[in-house]
Amino acid sequence: MDPQMMVELGALTIVGAAALIAGIAEDLESDVGSQSNPNSQVQLAPQMGYLHRLYNKAISGEPASYPFYAAIGAATTISVLSVTGSESLIGVFFALVAGAFVTALIHGVYATTSYVGRLASQSRFGQPIYLDVLRTHTPVLMAHGFIANFSILLLTWILIAQHLSPFPFIVLAFIWGIALGGVGSAVGDVHLGTDRYYQDRPYGSGVNAAHSGSVVRKAESGLRNSIDCAWFCSKFGGPLTGLGFGLVVYLHFWKEVVVKDWWSAVAGVIIVVIFVIMNTYLERYSRQRYGTYKEETEAE
Amino acid sequence: MFDLLFWVWIILGGILIGAGVHFIPVGGAPAAMSQATGVGTGTTMLAAASGLTGLIGAGSAYYLHPGDFAYTVVMGGVSAALMIAILAFIANVMYVYGAGVPLASAKVKYDPITKWRQDLYVSRGTEGHGSPMVSFISGIIGAFLAGVGGALVYFALVETYKAIPGFSATFGSYSAPYYVSLAAAFAIGIFFLNCVMASYNIGGTIEGFHDPKFKRLPKSIVASLVVSAVGGLFALLISVMLPGGI
Repeated sequence: MDPQMMVELGALTIVGAAALIAGIAEDLESDVGSQSNPNSQVQLAPQMGYLHRLYNKAISGEPASYPFYAAIGAATTISVLSVTGSESLIGVFFALVAGAFVTALIHGVYATTSYVGRLASQSRFGQPIYLDVLRTHTPVLMAHGFIANFSILLLTWILIAQHLSPFPFIVLAFIWGIALGGVGSAVGDVHLGTDRYYQDRPYGSGVNAAHSGSVVRKAESGLRNSIDCAWFCSKFGGPLTGLGFGLVVYLHFWKEVVVKDWWSAVAGVIIVVIFVIMNTYLERYSRQRYGTYKEETEAE
Repeated sequence: MFDLLFWVWIILGGILIGAGVHFIPVGGAPAAMSQATGVGTGTTMLAAASGLTGLIGAGSAYYLHPGDFAYTVVMGGVSAALMIAILAFIANVMYVYGAGVPLASAKVKYDPITKWRQDLYVSRGTEGHGSPMVSFISGIIGAFLAGVGGALVYFALVETYKAIPGFSATFGSYSAPYYVSLAAAFAIGIFFLNCVMASYNIGGTIEGFHDPKFKRLPKSIVASLVVSAVGGLFALLISVMLPGGI
């Protein structure tokens, strides 16, 4: 095997692992902060008369907020490296840590203002601002955001150092941030929105639109907070998001590293066809396993 | 250098991006509660997530074969389609094993591709869940179109900016040449312009080409044509306005 390809494949393995960790941390961060899609339910709950102790921050959708964190982190990293130089590996590592640290601080500021601002606007429905929730949840989501952003910066740096992408560091980190937010919002949120927020409803059904806002407010012990939700989602939603983003990043470059030129386009098409076939089996399995919700006569 | 052909490519790319967005199955926020068919995130964001991953593929392709138009464009499309195939499949795994719902659409009685019955599998009070086969295939087509469109825009811009004197320089040893940075940034900008235009046209959620909202596509093409023409002209005129341009 070509030695250059061996090195690139090794780098790609680290990139895939970093993407996996980024996906897990990103989804759990959005679960603690109840950002993105299921936030609509948390936001609606006080208006429907359900006061809660869940964290409520929707700075923006995940695919909008993560590219900006990543871009801020990347810009900070480049600034640090422009002073220290990028010759030593340990210097680069600490520059990436510095970049991720700055994003965590900015994330904390946004989260605090978002939580306080949103809940203050809901005071007319009697929703209190819980300062202990603010104090306990904000560091947790900052920490998860730090891990996600550090992983994004690390994988972007490796891709550029290995000349796998010609794009500048900040632009590439920005694009991977959008992809990460897209995967986190499409995959992990379903576990939180359909299952965790509506655990008192029968399992195996979409949430009836008439029940919107009636989120579960009691926990296994005491009142539920958003850290409980992250604990629950870390069992399936988080890892699956990580798997999704890891596959996106890994397979994207795998097809360019292992096969060259036009064959990489062919390899991409073959991988797409494999996913279509797997999806057919999954859809058929779900229909056979779960059955119908209505009888044939009832539908007509 | 400024070339009218590149402007045409940017406009064509913009139209393809706008059209591609209409194919991508978007469930929006309700999809996270398994209340709507499609992938659970916003229209603009899902299209951008897949299409810009395609842009990374197009960037790598242009880097490996500078000036190879066909290779750049096809790699952009294939990379975007690959991203959405993985994303929709993993999301479907989540629906089936995490939420325990079958994949079903509420807009059609029978899936046009598999001919499987849909309405019986839609749970009460919802508009379907997950991405059934027709939405899945529609998403792959849409992402391919959006990826090709993004790659066309990138190719036109990178060819224009490369000719500007001094733009092959880099800022330090770890950075890309200026023309790559500028082309990528403007390509992202034109991508978002067209995604947002299309997303206003869709207005919330769409299941794919079988959705009645898909009939609104012609309006979006006109809108994309106008915004890409204006945005593309500004992006290209930079090459004329800079010192040593044309």
